[in-house]
Amino acid sequence: MSAELDPDAALMLRVKQGDSGAFAELVHKYRQPVMNVAYRMLGDATEAEDLAQNVFVQVHKSAHRYQVSSKFSTWLFTIARNLCLNEIRRRSRHPTSSLQAPHPDNEDQPLHQVEDAKTASPPETLLHGELEEKITQGLAALPENQRLAILLCRQDELSYEQIAKVLGCSVSATKSLIHRGRETLKRELKPYLRTGVWRESK
Amino acid sequence: MTHDPIYDRLRELSWRRELTSAEAAELQAWLAAHPEGREDWEAEAGLTEALGRLPDAPVASNFTARVLQAVERETAAKQRRRQRNWQFTGWLRWLPRTAVAMLVLGACLISYHRLYGPQYKELVQSVAAVSRVSSLPGAEILKDFDAIRVLNPTPAADEELLAVLK
Repeated sequence: MSAELDPDAALMLRVKQGDSGAFAELVHKYRQPVMNVAYRMLGDATEAEDLAQNVFVQVHKSAHRYQVSSKFSTWLFTIARNLCLNEIRRRSRHPTSSLQAPHPDNEDQPLHQVEDAKTASPPETLLHGELEEKITQGLAALPENQRLAILLCRQDELSYEQIAKVLGCSVSATKSLIHRGRETLKRELKPYLRTGVWRESK
Repeated sequence: MTHDPIYDRLRELSWRRELTSAEAAELQAWLAAHPEGREDWEAEAGLTEALGRLPDAPVASNFTARVLQAVERETAAKQRRRQRNWQFTGWLRWLPRTAVAMLVLGACLISYHRLYGPQYKELVQSVAAVSRVSSLPGAEILKDFDAIRVLNPTPAADEELLAVLK
């Protein structure tokens, strides 16, 4: 019976019985994919890492509720989605200070000094860095459900059906979200995509 | 943007993976028949590749260790909460039993008082009254009653004296 099980499901069954080694294996396997989604959803590496850790803590706390019938990655990314959306909504209720806000002691100086990454980049990576920045900005500007759909689409472990389960909508609605998000990105990145700069950056 | 089912299907496949040679041939045939779709296809392919080249988010080398530590802290905190709850509610668990016992005891006392209180006093008084009466002779003295009666007949009543006394 266990040989037919998805390997992740087999590990989760061991986690349910208190096997911390099995849990560590799952964390190690999925930490990068979960971090990628969290980072692109929140836009901040530190917050993304905190959130990604919380995802796995939630997985451990909720292990008793895990059903073998559902794929572990679907369950995992559903937890990640919920925590990401909660954090985004929490931020919208408690917005952080603007980067343009003046320093209280010196109005000529901004409150937050951010290093200009463009000038610090070496010339040969300038175009690549600019494209990456544009895509990052484009993704960050998308509605959260379209952004999440596109990010989950990058996960090889998830089929369209599983992505739909994570998002809580139908497969056709999922594809529609991905399509609309991509159409927006194509419009914004048209100059780069037309010139093929993404090819030159190889 | 097209709504051609063949193009849509191949495009959706390309979002997840590289097209197989058969699928690529099908796409090329479609593009040959629909040259207006080539620009969109170029943009789709470019975007897919650009998204695929986004770097991974930085992950700390001790990420797994920190998750395990967080899980340990969470488990320990849960244990402490459980223990506090038990200590707080432990004696509370006896409260209903104590309340029931008190009710039963109270009911017994009330019943006892109602049944035996005033009547008991009356009984005590009656017994006290009876105890003041001199004790009656025992039955053994009556065993010769018939013989004594025959030997010592009772004299007739003095009717003249009774009449005077009236």
